[in-house]
Order: sequence, then structure tokens, then C-alpha cells
Amino acid sequence: MDDLRIPIGSFFVILGVMLLIAFFVITSGPPLSSPSVNLWCGLAMLIFGIVMLLLARRGKA
Amino acid sequence: MKPGAIDYIILGTYFLYVLGIGWLVKRRVKTGVEFLTSGHSIPVWVTSLAFIATNLGAQEVIGMVASGAKYGMLTCNFYWLGAIPGMIILGVFMMPFYYGSRARSAPEYLKLRFDEKTRGFNAITFAVMTIFSSGISMYALGLLFHVVLGWKLTNSILLSAAIVLVYTYLGGLTSAIYNEVLQFFLIVLGFAPLSIMAVWKAGGWSGVTARTTAWMGAHSQFTHNPDVMTHTWKYMGHASSNMMGVEWFGMLFGLGWVLGCSYWCCNFLVVQRAMAANSMAASRLTPLIAAFPKMLMPMVVIAPGLAAIALHQMNVPGILVPKGNTYDYNLILTNLMAQFYPSGLLGVGLTALFASFMSGMAGNVTAFNTVFTYDIYQSYINKNASDAHYFKVGRITTVAGVLLSIGAAYWAAQSNNIMDFLQLVFGFVNAPLFATFLLGMFWRRTTGHGAFAGLVAGEIVATLTLGFSAAEGAGGWFGAIHTFPSAMAQNFWIAILSFMSCLVFTVLVSLVTKPKPVSELENLVYGYTKMPVEEHQPWYKRPGPLAVIVGIACILFNLWFW
Repeated sequence: MDDLRIPIGSFFVILGVMLLIAFFVITSGPPLSSPSVNLWCGLAMLIFGIVMLLLARRGKA
Repeated sequence: MKPGAIDYIILGTYFLYVLGIGWLVKRRVKTGVEFLTSGHSIPVWVTSLAFIATNLGAQEVIGMVASGAKYGMLTCNFYWLGAIPGMIILGVFMMPFYYGSRARSAPEYLKLRFDEKTRGFNAITFAVMTIFSSGISMYALGLLFHVVLGWKLTNSILLSAAIVLVYTYLGGLTSAIYNEVLQFFLIVLGFAPLSIMAVWKAGGWSGVTARTTAWMGAHSQFTHNPDVMTHTWKYMGHASSNMMGVEWFGMLFGLGWVLGCSYWCCNFLVVQRAMAANSMAASRLTPLIAAFPKMLMPMVVIAPGLAAIALHQMNVPGILVPKGNTYDYNLILTNLMAQFYPSGLLGVGLTALFASFMSGMAGNVTAFNTVFTYDIYQSYINKNASDAHYFKVGRITTVAGVLLSIGAAYWAAQSNNIMDFLQLVFGFVNAPLFATFLLGMFWRRTTGHGAFAGLVAGEIVATLTLGFSAAEGAGGWFGAIHTFPSAMAQNFWIAILSFMSCLVFTVLVSLVTKPKPVSELENLVYGYTKMPVEEHQPWYKRPGPLAVIVGIACILFNLWFW
């Protein structure tokens, strides 16, 4: 494996997408919050994953 | 707590990823040295994050949240006093000798610097301790999942052990370290939303402060200072004015100097990560770069504990649940997850718990197989075999280490007393080591006999102190001469006495025994080691300036929450 940023980046992209899907699928929230936290956390993880992948690409060039 | 299908899919994806990283690394690992020590090949940002991840085991994460609820900001002393100074000392002063000596492990450094018996003593105690620690944390994780999710103890123990075994067997230390970085990000990103939401719900930091003060005011049996939970040092003047039952001297000297430094500078579990770095400069920068995220970790792991008390004070049910005549602090983390995480994020939170457990366990397994293969097998059983032979032994040891940990987990499950006792002993068994390494690296007159005598004296004094003192109704089997205000104070003072006696005995015995000739001290002792020159590097790649910045930032944190 050449660059650890690729598996880490892709993992968090997948995780982010899964949370976005969960946001659209899950309607019932827990007592103290709402299902919308899946949206915010999903977006945060998606962005983190994409930044990691971009860093890996820049590192290679 | 009822995880849904999506939560299990997230957990499954994570398992596939850690196994996949192990499989990818396997192709790169071709020799025994690479398997057991990574062959000095890993970039500095990776070793830095692995350096803290290996200390972020599930027990630490759950324990820090619990401690945040029990003691509040006093818990931050375990970071800003018990970790950062030790990490600075390792990076600036000690790493040149570890890395420069080309030792493959911390016990091997002791062999090169002193003699075989000092190495043997350290290697054997370390090997036994790693097996029991990983067994205990495996049991703790299994128990938590049993209580929270209703999973069978055996299922979660065997599942997590099997996954750690596969990826450490495939790729050895490199695989463990690479996975620790993934685990680090997962732990932070998985628990940070919980901390933010809990503190938000409790009315922000000012709400947390006001409500924990009201809580403490209503519980004057703990202490008469209601604002104690949001201060680190203000009530450290006397043991009776804070809930930890520790006074400033025991805290500063016992935790900050002895326990903090003996863990972060001498415990091979963490030092191994820095030794795997791809250059001397990178190995010295590892703990210093790691210190930045480490300093901020209380926001992720201690803040939720404080917020839990504030929420409980707001009459939110199901967070702080009673247990006997106190509360079950260890369930706070998972209770908060049940209250705040919807299905989806709940899967991320559970995965983060698994990740923290695995990073801790893989750290134990990879440190154990290196120490066993090189410091026990190669030095006492089969001295002159080929690298391929030690590669095979390393792999077999990996399997044996995991099996022994599972055995230890079931043994711990038999009796709570055994577990409490072991954790008590592990608290200070490393304490004398810092004196040994410090004298070994900086006083050339230190001899092997001196170091060995000091270590033995340190352990004997620790045992005697434990036997002759009582705390919270425990200990004092030989008759309690002194009673400590708390078990924590007892632990800190045992460490102080153990360190001091190791120091004194090492010096005294060294003065009457024959020192090593100067020719054998090259790269092992200050004054006979060519210290690395970094003046041509930019400031952010030099240990000195970085250490100053870390030190100032750490002091500012202490003052901020004084």
C-alpha cells in the first residue's frame, strides 16, 4: 500500500454516504435529538473523506 | 439501545476495511524485522496518530467519560499533566538514544545499555502485563456490549479478538499502526458529535458550569466546594478539598513526573510507535506532533462526562443511573449515545467503540510479539537463528498472544477482585522504570548491577507501601500504618516512593560496581552519542521549537481552566 490516505479517505466517503442515506430513510429520532444529525455528521464525514483523497492525489503528483 | 440494519452495515464496513488494510500491508512485509518493527519505514504523521491511538483503548475512552462525570475537569490532569510533559521529554531527550542505539525494543535498549538480567526483568514483567491488560479490556468491552446491546459475552470477545488477530497476523506492526490511524479518526469523528450535542443540550459551557455547581452543592458529602468540577488546580491545595482526594504535590510529582513519564517515555507499547518512524528526526517529532491532538482530547472524552451530570441535574432520565449507593459511571458513554444518536450515527458510535478497543488491543499484541520474539525467545531459547525463523516465531507469538489474552479475559470474568487487584498493581508497576531509563541515558556511571538492584528495590518498596497502607477500605494486608484519603492518592504515593527508591538504589549500587567501558556506551548515553543536528531544518520540523510551543500551549490550558 503506497498511501494510507486513500483507504482512510474512501472509508469516510462511504461512511458519509451511508449517513446521508440514513437521513432519508430513518424518520424516528432518539429522545434528545432528531434524525437531522445524520445529515450534518454525514456531510462532515463526506467532506473529511474527500479532503483526504484530494491530499493523497496531490501527494502523488 | 436497538441498533438497526444500517448500524450493522456500518460496523461491517469497518471490519472489512481493517481486514483489507491488513491484507494490503501483508504484501509489503517480507522479513521478520519488518513484521515486528516495521523496519523504520513509517512517515511521521502516521506514527504520531498511532502514538495516541494505541492509548485510546475502549477502557480509556469509557473510563475518561466516567471520570469526567465523577471528578469533572480534575480529570484533565491526566492529559495536561500526566501525558504532555512525558511526551515532550520522550521527543526531546530520550528518543535520540532509543532510535540511535538501533535497539528493536525498550527491553533491548536496557540490554545494550546495562545487561541481560535488567532486560530480562523488564521484558518478562512487560510481556505478562500486556497479556493481562488486553484480556481485561477485552472482558470490559464484552461486558459493556452485553449490558447495553444484550450480546453474548463470548460473541463480542471472540469476534473482536479474531479481527485483531487476522490483521496483526497478516501485516504485523505496520498493519497495526496503519489501522490505528483509521481508528483514531473514527474515534474522534464518532465521539465528537456526542460531546458537542451533550454540551449544547446542557446549555453550553456556561450551562455545564452552572449545573455541575448546583449538583455539587447538593452533594456536599463529596466536597464543600461546589464549583470544583470545572477547575483543574483551584482545589488541589489540600486532599480534602477535591473529590480525587489528592493534594498538589502527589498530583504534580506522582502523576506528572513519575507515572506520566514512566508511561509515555518507558512503556514499550507507546515508544514502539515512535521507534517505527522512518528517520531519527521523524521519531523525535512523533510524540511532539501527537501532543497537539492529545491536548484537545478532553473536549471529546471528558466534556461528555461533565455534560452528563448537567443533563442529570436537568432531570433528563437514563443518563446517570444509580448502582448500589452510587452511580454507574461506566454506562454514561453508551447511555448518552442512546439519547442522542439516531440509527446511522449510532452505528458510527458503536464502530468507534470497537475501533478504540481494537487500537488498544493491537497495540498490546504487537508490543508483546516483538518483546517475546527478540527479548525472550532470541535471548534465552534460540540465539542465532535466521530472520525467517524469527518471522515465523513472531507470527506464532501473535496467535499465542491473542489466545492468552482471551484466556485472561475469561479469568478476569471469574472474579472482580482479581481484576481490581491487577489494575491496582499495573498502576504503579512501571513507576521505577523512569528512574532506570533516566539514569541510564544521562549518567554514564550507572551500571547494570545498579539498574537491576534499583528496579527490584522499586518493586519491593511499591509492594510494601501497598501492604502497609490503606485507602477506601482496601489494602493494608500487613497492617495499615498510613491511611490515604483515596485510592488514587495511594497509587500516586506508591509511585513516588517506588521511583525514589529505584533512584537511590541504582545510584548507590552503581557507585560500588564497575561501570561499562566508554567504548561500549556509544549511542546509548548522553555525552557519547552524536546528537542529531537539525539547525538547517525549518522550525516546524525541529523538536526544540515544537516542544516549546507544545509546552506553552499546555500551560495555557492549565491556566485557562485553573
